[in-house]
Formats: sequence, C-alpha cells, structure tokens
Amino acid sequence: MTGRGLRSPASAATSLVVPLVLVALTAVAGASGTPSFEGTVTLILCNLIVVLGLQVFIGNSGVYSFGQLGFAASGAYVAALLTISPAFTALQTPELPKLIADTQLGPLPSTLIAAVASGVLAGVVGLPLMRTSTLAIPISTFAFLIVAYNVLANWELVTGGSSGLVSIPRTTDVTAAGLWAGVAVVVALVFKWSASGYRLQATREDEVAARSIGIGLMRERLIAFTISGMLCGIGGALAVHQSGTLSPTTFYFAASVTTITMLVVGGARSVLGAVVGTLAVATVNELLRNFEEGASVLGLISIGAAPGLAAVGLGLILLVTMVALPGGLSGGREAGEIGPLRRRLRSRAPSTSSAVAATDRAKPRPARGSAGGLRAEGVSLAFAGLHVLRGVELELPPGEALGLIGPNGAGKTTLVNVLSGFQAPEAGSVLLDGVDVTSWSPPRLARAGLGRTFQAALPFAGLTVVESVAVGAMGVGVGRRRAVDVAANVLERLGLGEQAQSPAGLQPPGSQRLLGIARALATGPRYLLLDEPAAGLNDEECRDLVAILRGVIRDFGCGILLIEHDMNVVMDLCSRVQVLDDGETVAVGSPEEVQAHPAVVEAYLGASYAVGAHA
Amino acid sequence: MPAPMTDLAQSLIDALALGGLYALIAIGVTLIYTVMGMMNFAQGEFIMLPAYALYVLAGVPFGVAVGAALVTGIAIAVLAERVAFRPVRNADLAAQLVTSLAVATILQNVVSASVDARAQSVATPELLSESSQVGTLSIPNLEILTLALTVVVLGGLGWLLYRTRIGLEMRAAAENFEMARLLGVRANRVIAIAFAISGALAATVGVLIVIQTGQVSPTMGLTPVLVGFIAVVIGGFGRISGAVVGGLVLGALSSLLGTYLPDGLVPFRDAIVFSLPVAILIVRPQGLLGSATGEARI
Repeated sequence: MTGRGLRSPASAATSLVVPLVLVALTAVAGASGTPSFEGTVTLILCNLIVVLGLQVFIGNSGVYSFGQLGFAASGAYVAALLTISPAFTALQTPELPKLIADTQLGPLPSTLIAAVASGVLAGVVGLPLMRTSTLAIPISTFAFLIVAYNVLANWELVTGGSSGLVSIPRTTDVTAAGLWAGVAVVVALVFKWSASGYRLQATREDEVAARSIGIGLMRERLIAFTISGMLCGIGGALAVHQSGTLSPTTFYFAASVTTITMLVVGGARSVLGAVVGTLAVATVNELLRNFEEGASVLGLISIGAAPGLAAVGLGLILLVTMVALPGGLSGGREAGEIGPLRRRLRSRAPSTSSAVAATDRAKPRPARGSAGGLRAEGVSLAFAGLHVLRGVELELPPGEALGLIGPNGAGKTTLVNVLSGFQAPEAGSVLLDGVDVTSWSPPRLARAGLGRTFQAALPFAGLTVVESVAVGAMGVGVGRRRAVDVAANVLERLGLGEQAQSPAGLQPPGSQRLLGIARALATGPRYLLLDEPAAGLNDEECRDLVAILRGVIRDFGCGILLIEHDMNVVMDLCSRVQVLDDGETVAVGSPEEVQAHPAVVEAYLGASYAVGAHA
Repeated sequence: MPAPMTDLAQSLIDALALGGLYALIAIGVTLIYTVMGMMNFAQGEFIMLPAYALYVLAGVPFGVAVGAALVTGIAIAVLAERVAFRPVRNADLAAQLVTSLAVATILQNVVSASVDARAQSVATPELLSESSQVGTLSIPNLEILTLALTVVVLGGLGWLLYRTRIGLEMRAAAENFEMARLLGVRANRVIAIAFAISGALAATVGVLIVIQTGQVSPTMGLTPVLVGFIAVVIGGFGRISGAVVGGLVLGALSSLLGTYLPDGLVPFRDAIVFSLPVAILIVRPQGLLGSATGEARI
C-alpha cells in the first residue's frame, strides 16, 4: 500500500504483528517447558487454529455455526488415516479403501491433504446450509455436527467406529503447531481485509443494506464457511498428530463449546480476539482441570475429584462474558485499532484529501449515454387485499432528477422497493435500459447499475466510514484497491473525508444519512433511488445535499429518483415531479405544473382546498 | 387384519407417538422463542434436570417423583431466565443463543460433577413398560401416555393462549413486543410464565424419556434439543402450529426410517433424519408453515 487505504500501514502492521508475537511467545514458552507442558501448549496452539477458523466465519458473518468442529474432525480423520502405518490400518479399519490404507504420508503432505479435504467438505456442506436463513444456520450447522458424529461413530470398518483410532504417529511438535498457527493468523487477517471479507462484514452489519449494494449473502457466507472449514481441518489434523489417538467425541459438542467460548471471550470480530481468547480460556481451563483431578491448595485445603468442573468454569466464563462484556476482551478490535495505540498512530495516518488528489481517475462508472432509462410499466401490488400500487407507470431517463411525492401511505417506498428488487410486483414490469429486470434480485440489480438508499440510514456501524463506503464498490465487484480510491473520491465529494477512519456507527445522524448516499454512489449507479434523503437535515445541509446531487447528475449522468417531503429540495433539484396518491399516479410534470395541479392540491390538503382553489 | 396391514398400523402409531414427543419438545422451544426471540440451547437441560429428579428420588412413589420433576423443570427454567437470560433480553439472536449455550454447559456439567458423567439407570413402574392389546394391535402403554399427554398439552395451551388474559398478553408480546409493552403487557411476567410453561413441558418430556430408556445421563438433553430446534425450523419459526407439524414430521420420519431402513443403514438413521430437514429448508427457507417474513406468531 502506498499511503492511502482503509487503514494506515502502521495500524495494519500492528494488527498483524501483535497476534503473531503472541503465538510465537506461546510456542517459545511451550518449547522451554517439560515435555508434558510442551504437549499441552501444542494442543492449545492446534485449538487456536480451529478458533481462528471459527473467527473467519462467525466473526465476519455474525452468524454462529456450531458445525465447524465437524470439519476439524474430518481433517483429523483424513490426516490420521493417511499416516497410520498399513499394518495398524488393516487392524483398525479393514474396509478402508486400499489406496488410502496403503498410503503412509509424512506430516506436511497429510496436513495439506486434510486441509483441502475439509475445505472441499465445507464447501459441499455449506452449499445447502448457507441457503438457509440467518436464523436457521446455527441450527442446521448443529445438525451437521451431529450427523458427522453419527457417521464417524457408526461407520466402523472405515473410521474405527466409536472406539476410534490409535497408533497415529505423533509428529506435531510445538514448533510445527506454532508455525501453522501463525499461518492461520495471516489467513484470517488477509481474509478479513479482502474484498470478500468486507462484503461479508457488511452483511453482518446490515443484511438489507448489503443486498442493496450488490452483495450476494449466500455466496459470501459460503466462501468464508469454506475457508473456515479448511483452517479447522488443519487444526484437527495437527491435534491428532500431537495426541496420537482419535475418537468421534474428540471434536464433538464439548469441543464446540470450548472453541466457541474461546472466540467469544476474546471477541469474535477480531483475529486478535481469537488469539487472546484462546490463550486466556486455555489457561483457565488447564488450572481448572488440575482441580478436577483432585488437588490440594498449599497442602491445606484438599478438593475431591470432580470431572465436569472445568466445563462448569468454562460455561460460567462464557455466561459472564455475554452478560458483562459482549465485545469480548479485545472489544472486537484488532491490535492496530485499540485506543491508546490508535491515537498515537492517527497522527501518522495519511490524510484522505491528499489521497484523493492523487487519484482522480477513480470515479464511479459514468452512464454509457444509452437512450435507455429506468421504467416501471403497469406495476401493481396488494398486501392482504389492500392495493398499494395500481398500474403505476414511471420513467427515469439517465441524467435527470425525478421527484416522487405524495402523502404518507401513497406507495412511494413500495414503488422504490419494486424498482430495486426488494419487492416483487403482482403485475407489471420493470425495465432497466430496455432489459426486463422484474424478477431480478436486489444484488443483481445493484451490479447492473441501480443504487438506492433507505428511509433509515442503515449504517454498517461496525466498519469505519471509509470501509463502509469502499464496501459499496466491492459489492459490485470492484477490486479492493480501486474500491479504496472510489471511496476516497465519494467521501471527498460528500464532504466526509475528515471522518474517514472513524466508526460509521458513531457519526451524527446527518452524516449517517450522507453515508448511505455515499455507499450507494460507490457502487457506480446509473440510476439512484433516494428515499427521503433530506429527512432530519437542517436547511444548510439540505442545500449542500442538493448541490451534491446536482454534481452527481452533471458528472456521472446519473438518473435520480427522489422521494422527499421537503418541497424546497424537490423543486430545487428535480426537472420533473410525479405525484402518487393511494397507489396511483395523479400527476406528472414540471414542478410548477404539478404544484398547480388540482389533484395534487386535493391529495395533499383535502378536497375542500381543491375546490377553493378553483373558486 | 392381514399381517402387513397390522405392521403398518403399528408403525403408524409408533410414528405418531414419537412425533407427539417431538412436538412437545418443539412447543417448549417455540414458546420461549415467541416471547423473547431466543433459540434456547438450555432446553435440553430443562429436560435433563427433571429426569435426574426421578433418579434422585428413586424409592419414593413414582407419582411424587414425577411431581418433583415438574417442579424442578419449572424452577430451573424460571431461574435461568431470571439470572442468565434477562440481562441479554435485548441482545441480538447470536448473543442470546451463545448465552443459552453457556447455561446449558453449566447445568450439564454441574450434574456431571455432582452425580456422574456416565448414564445411571432409573426404575420406572412396570405398568408403563407393558403394552395394551387393542384389536390385533399391541400398543405400548408409554405410547398411549405420550399421545394422551400431547393432546392434553395442546388443548391446555390452546385454552391458555386463546381464553385467558395472560394468553392474550403472550400472543400480543409475540406479535410485537415493544407495542405490547406500551399497551401495558407486563414483559417480565409474560416471559417468566412462558419459561415456566416451557420448563413444565420439558419436565414432561424428560419423564417420558426416562420411562422409555430407563436411564438418565448429563448429555441426554442434547439430541432432544436438536430435535426441537429442527422441528421449529422445518415447521416455521415462532408458531405453535409449526412446532407441532415440525415435531410430527420429524418423529414420523425417524420412527418410519427405524422400521423400514435396510439393516446396513439403521445405525445412520439419525444422520438421515437430521439431514432431510435441510432439504425442506432449501425448498422453503421459511419452513413448512412459516411466513416469508419470519416473524414470531403464536
């Protein structure tokens, strides 16, 4: 990166180095202890790889999966079966295909194959599971875990059944586990900072807004689910080569709870959180386990053996975290984003305005000058028998601003929902530059050049201002680097450059509203549908908004459909105004014509005023 | 009746009884989901702890032990709500889910640590493990009891939800919690009562499972809670009717697969039972009876 970006190079470097140093210190501590301590630390590092795998999916999507340990299990079984010597294989798993049974690989190739196998399995399993709703994914992944367990425990002649496998070569030492954990940290951070990672984080912040900027929910979730499965597979493969034994319960419900606790305690949204949480919970867990076996404190108090005690402690830690510290120890922040560090780094962060000056080429895509337009033809819709839209016609040519006005409940927002694919019409069609797009999904329409905002700002609260705009460009497939340029440009145009690096959720309401427009502009729309953009803005902000929108029309030839109650904004910006009342168009024309139209006066002020106007 | 017909009738009754049990589990999950939008992992432990009440009270008359199990179920559900779930009532779905996972882990392992991690056997009345002869059919008394309880519970819930003030408040809270509060619905009371009913349902399920299997174990709630979740998902979130349909479908599927699956595949029955609902979700992501919006409705 050359000075401009979603974060300063110093912040990025800190975010990467701090977790790596923590991993390295852990490995060094393990290597300098007793062999049994080294074994414990090695397993903790293997656990960390699994937790980082969880972070990739859960942290970025905000959706809990209880099935990722199934991929740790698949990695472990693949790695074990590929490394057990043929003689032992014949005893334990007589029906294993001969090719695998006769294979005896070293630690590295077996781990790599386990990673690929688990990744492929996650992709295949995720394909149907990611189609289920946000509400159902935790349950369907939980079901997958139980299915995986059931298969592993009952497919005796291939997996060794419920008694599991023994005589697995113990090849994972603390160095190998540490190196792989380092790789996992890098993979998790690179994914988080990739275009795909940002698109997924946008869906976590707001599914509806994410769809409006071209993001396909299932696709992004599936990508993360697959990478997550791969990392979990590596963790499982390494762990089994540390312990030397494997059974279906090794990576089952208890392990799911442990790893999820580690992630949540550290803070699921950050890679740093995964590392800190794993180390903290593992430490407490080891201490509790000593008590479990019966211990005496200073030779004075003796405690009887109580298996399950460690898990009770784990549950309590998880409960207290959820109630008292929902963001986890890291607060969901990476090392380079944490308070004091961040403040020190900010002075050195590149200023956005200089970045903009350097890149004038990165503009939203201009209209291609086609004679098309956005058209609605005979659009009708009813909710439970109540007619919301009745045969509405609408035409928005490129480079024009069309005002859409009407009393509350006239159907304005519903019409915008139909145009942008969020609501299917019962009759009629929507055409985008002559192409029938009636049945298209919102993300597909966004990628085809249709941008929109919502009455609520729907900010991506957990992202920074520049990230939440750049993800708009990423949403329609612009690469990460160019998306940053686009975002810088758009923010400059809207006067939000100063706030670029601060959290989107902490902006004042007026800025959040502009941010919604910025996000839509970053998708490079040829048609932009704005739903009450001036609501809550003061007079000065309204004038600024009109100037900004004029600039957008002038520079990009963008067509704008404006729903607005503030008549000054409508009259200032729009060359034509269409009036909806009770789901029907009652007038279309220039602002002056519409203002004088009797039907409009009636719709707004009631019949008596309309009669009075004629008198 | 010819033998194949008898077999079919027999397996249909088995299917209905298992479906009834699953419906009871799913209703318990749904009640909590409707009033606070939480999928409750600890529902499995609300089933497990009353079952342990039967184990602890071995020797006392079975009826008394069952009464104690019901009290246990209600008490633990109400206590968990007050201590753990109330603080996260307004958190997002994922946070609530993880909180309930924490509660489940704690309860499960407290039992592991204080009783034993292994399964313990529990004696139940002979009468309940016998069968009654109806025509040519021999129906296990437990199945008759399960079906009777399902019908009684459904009737009772129907009466409570549609004929009482608290039922009205619960339905209002399920429609729109904030609005219901503004109109004077006492949120704490409605939620506590939903948990109490859910705890009583879970205790009933726990007792039925003990009678069926003759044993208790700390992890005995895991499969039932998954069953409840899946039944709720395939029935459609947040509807009692959906929970009943989902439970019946899942129970019937499991029971019929147990009877008709080829021998080699029988061990994989659970794997098949838990995979098929995903197929339903792919075709109908909102579930069989769910509305497209996924809003909770009783």
